[in-house]
Amino acid sequence: MSAVASTAPQIGADAPAARAARWTAYAIVGIGALFMLAPFWLMFVFATHSRGEIFNLPPPLWFGDDLAANFKLLTERIPFWRNLGWSVYVALMATVLTLLFCSMAGYAFALMEFRFKKALFGLVMATMLLPSFMNMIPMFMIMDALGWIDQQRALYVPGAASAFGIFLMRQFASTAVPRELIEAARMDGCGEFSIYWRIVLPLMKPALGTLALITFIQSWNNFINPLIVMRSTPNYTLPLALRSLQSTLNTEWGALMCGSAIATIPLIVLFAITSRQLIAGLTAGAVK
Amino acid sequence: MSSSSHFLRGARTSPTRRAVLAAGVAVAFAPTVRARTSRTLTVAAFPLVDQIVKDAIPQWAQRHPDVGINIVMRQYDDHHTAMTTALSTAVYLPDVMALESSYVGKFSNGGGLSDLLQPRYDIGRHRARYVEYAYNQAINRKGQVVAAPTDIGPGTFLYRADILERAGVTAADMQRSWDAYVDGGIRIKKATGANLIGNVKTLKDIMIRSGLQAGQGIYFDSDSNVLVDTPRFHRAFELALRARRNGLEGRLATWSNEWAEAFRRGVTSTELGGSWMVGQLANWVAPVTAGKWRAAQLPESTWVSYGGTYYAIPRDSDPELKALAWELVEMMTLDTGRQLAALKTQDAFPALLSAQDDATFDQPSEFLGGQHARVLWREAARHITATAVHKQSNFAEDAVNAELDNVLDDGKDIKQALADAAKLLQLRAKR
Amino acid sequence: MKLPDFLRLSPKWAPYVFISPFVLLFVVFSVFPLCFSLYLAFQSWEPTGGLRAMEFVGFSNFAFALKDSWFWMSLKNTLWLAVASGVPQHLVALPLAAFIHTSFKRLRDGVIAVYFLPYITSTVAIAIMFGSLFSKDYGVINATLASLFGMEHVDWLTNSVHIKPAIAFIVFWRYVGFNTVLYLAAMQTIPGELYEAATLDGASRLRQFFHITLPSIKPMIFFGVTLSVIGGLQLFEEPFILTGGKGGPQQAAMTSAVYLFREAFDFNDFGGASAMSWLLFLVVALLTWITNIAFRTRKGATQ
Repeated sequence: MSAVASTAPQIGADAPAARAARWTAYAIVGIGALFMLAPFWLMFVFATHSRGEIFNLPPPLWFGDDLAANFKLLTERIPFWRNLGWSVYVALMATVLTLLFCSMAGYAFALMEFRFKKALFGLVMATMLLPSFMNMIPMFMIMDALGWIDQQRALYVPGAASAFGIFLMRQFASTAVPRELIEAARMDGCGEFSIYWRIVLPLMKPALGTLALITFIQSWNNFINPLIVMRSTPNYTLPLALRSLQSTLNTEWGALMCGSAIATIPLIVLFAITSRQLIAGLTAGAVK
Repeated sequence: MSSSSHFLRGARTSPTRRAVLAAGVAVAFAPTVRARTSRTLTVAAFPLVDQIVKDAIPQWAQRHPDVGINIVMRQYDDHHTAMTTALSTAVYLPDVMALESSYVGKFSNGGGLSDLLQPRYDIGRHRARYVEYAYNQAINRKGQVVAAPTDIGPGTFLYRADILERAGVTAADMQRSWDAYVDGGIRIKKATGANLIGNVKTLKDIMIRSGLQAGQGIYFDSDSNVLVDTPRFHRAFELALRARRNGLEGRLATWSNEWAEAFRRGVTSTELGGSWMVGQLANWVAPVTAGKWRAAQLPESTWVSYGGTYYAIPRDSDPELKALAWELVEMMTLDTGRQLAALKTQDAFPALLSAQDDATFDQPSEFLGGQHARVLWREAARHITATAVHKQSNFAEDAVNAELDNVLDDGKDIKQALADAAKLLQLRAKR
Repeated sequence: MKLPDFLRLSPKWAPYVFISPFVLLFVVFSVFPLCFSLYLAFQSWEPTGGLRAMEFVGFSNFAFALKDSWFWMSLKNTLWLAVASGVPQHLVALPLAAFIHTSFKRLRDGVIAVYFLPYITSTVAIAIMFGSLFSKDYGVINATLASLFGMEHVDWLTNSVHIKPAIAFIVFWRYVGFNTVLYLAAMQTIPGELYEAATLDGASRLRQFFHITLPSIKPMIFFGVTLSVIGGLQLFEEPFILTGGKGGPQQAAMTSAVYLFREAFDFNDFGGASAMSWLLFLVVALLTWITNIAFRTRKGATQ
């Protein structure tokens, strides 16, 4: 952290103009931060108010007392805890699989030679450009052929071949893992899997952390895939379940806000824990 | 000494980490063991139809204790999207599919829904028991009946009796013609300041549905000719413009909070919609205005239907369960008790004529100040005729609405607007 | 752990083994849908009739798409939204990252966390939230504008002129923090000596920003802008959820992706939708390539 701090140009410490400039900077960043936080704050506040109160003028800015009522309504309409559990499970599985497959493949693309390497990588990158929902129907067909309809694996397996994941892994591996190290290990008689597991992976930790976080978040928030593949309410993940609360006619805003707020908490916690990893990963991986 | 061995000595291979990973991969790819259970009917529905089906489970269980019912509930739009996807690949279809009436029209010609006229279902013998137009609505171009109606939404004219009285306008005045309706609105505005209607599109929507010839759709006829540049549309647009110009419209998005609030505060004096609108007003939109509203038949003897629900059986669903599926559909649609239960709990207006003859229908509506409104709607339902739904109807609706906005907001000439809409629709009509 | 010789992976075959899980999934879940959608673009298909209902129609889907005024309108909407939400993101993120980089030491992690928060939340939750915030008479945004600037309540969501800025704002809100973090990360790799030398030479902070900071993080800017271009052109979830899947008043918020979705699921025209998606793909590829060129030439010039 101290090494990082020294790269920052110091704003001139003493001159009053410089001090004013510094305080302006603080103010701007502070206002920006409020901007970022306000909708979240409101979401949590609204989660504690009834529907009528949410749409009052002026809207409530502090907590109310309807949290219990909203939560009760929420759990009545959908099997909330079960859906939450599925979201966690699917996100975890997605993360594990994606990390494994993308790091293996990224390492290979970065540091090994094989036929059609460039073409394959180009193809993978190109798929990032296609609108994702055009996959809906063929995806459904495949899931049925595999017998994976209404099973959570249909949600986390396809994403393990993530174009973004392999991009990140390849970038990072090519900068963070010296070829000589690998050559030396080979000469020492080290097996290929050992090289991958014991040398490459530890060196790629920051990027792994970043990819893990991003994969977890994307999996958690995904709702188009579950919509296509899941057939029964008890098997839904959370966004899908929440959306079923949102009907044109009689949206239960209080319960909806409550559910949305709860759905956000695990992500916030996760992020709070891993934010440092994230920066490090993004720095090293994308600067090239 | 190569640096690699330095690394190897330093690196700790954690057996637990490896085990977790291996387990994860194994779980992901291991085949699941699914226990054999007794049979289950899968019913796909949207709120609040799912609740209606759920309420029927005890009665079903008495008849078939070994056949469970699994209800897959999705939000309205998502449900229909999912049904489209399921029908497109003909796999993992529900045994019974709840559909809103507009979607019945859309799905009816694709061949994905079972023809209920077939001897194993023979819905034809029940034809007379259903409201006529509801049954007809489910008939596709080949003459097949693709779904069974369960509830309907006869159009009605709701008005604030107190506001009209203050303005010296009677409902009968406004019912004489649509022009009279708008004239009444002008007088109401002048006398009380209240708006005639929340959103002028509601008015346009009703007017373009009136005066249809047999077999004509709203936007297209059976040969896919575009009908948008016809007097019916011109008149609708002109009246909408007149209402807007006289400030009779709240310019509120239907179902938005501003729209609901306008009802609560007595800013909106009338509404045109399905009979179920009363339930919505009473439950959450504007319960404070209870007792002040009355229902009447739509102006100019216009008979229109607003939505309605059907149950369909997909053609490619599990053949072993089809007989049971049909039995469930029969129970939901032909059992007077179930139809009345749906009416009581979810305000679903029965499509079954015998249910409509029940004494419940004579019950006064508290929200409507004691009026016997159901009798009114029962009467209206008898006059409604089925309208053919064209494949491009959804698009046509959006296109026409967009042109209406051009006319109302940007002052575009009506003739030009409708001509443009017609041109746009012509490009798509035969797709 | 040493495997017996016959099981050990030789370096020759290692690459193929390592990429095989990824490639397998990629072929099954990315390539096949691609091919199916290409195949579909040449068919006319009423989806509820099942797979047997497909009919080959050559290029007529493409011809239809090119003649369809809604296709072009949706493209225009998409470009407008991509620019209106994308440009401010980066214009704000760059100086913001610089501010944070220079002024915050202890609070840096906290500030970063706060700015990143919008990015990690579910679009469903966000759209629901903003749906209520943008409400004309009861929304927080109008209430704030009215009390701060005395503005009349703006009709955000049902007015065809205002809904675009509203959506652009939401997308901006969602991603500005993400880009700030990206740039901040990149700035942390700039050696401090460069700045020290420049300060000694008497260069102002502003000059340092333009002549040291920006050029040094060019690769990251390229990365961020590319993501914005691709993401912006594919914008789907925010407009979709905010307009209830319809595209908004007079289709003002209907991006190409939303239009594709509607074409497939509302208007039941999967063939047409597939053709449009391939046309859209060409547009995205073209713009990405242009971005690539733009950055590469400038990079070559300064290096």
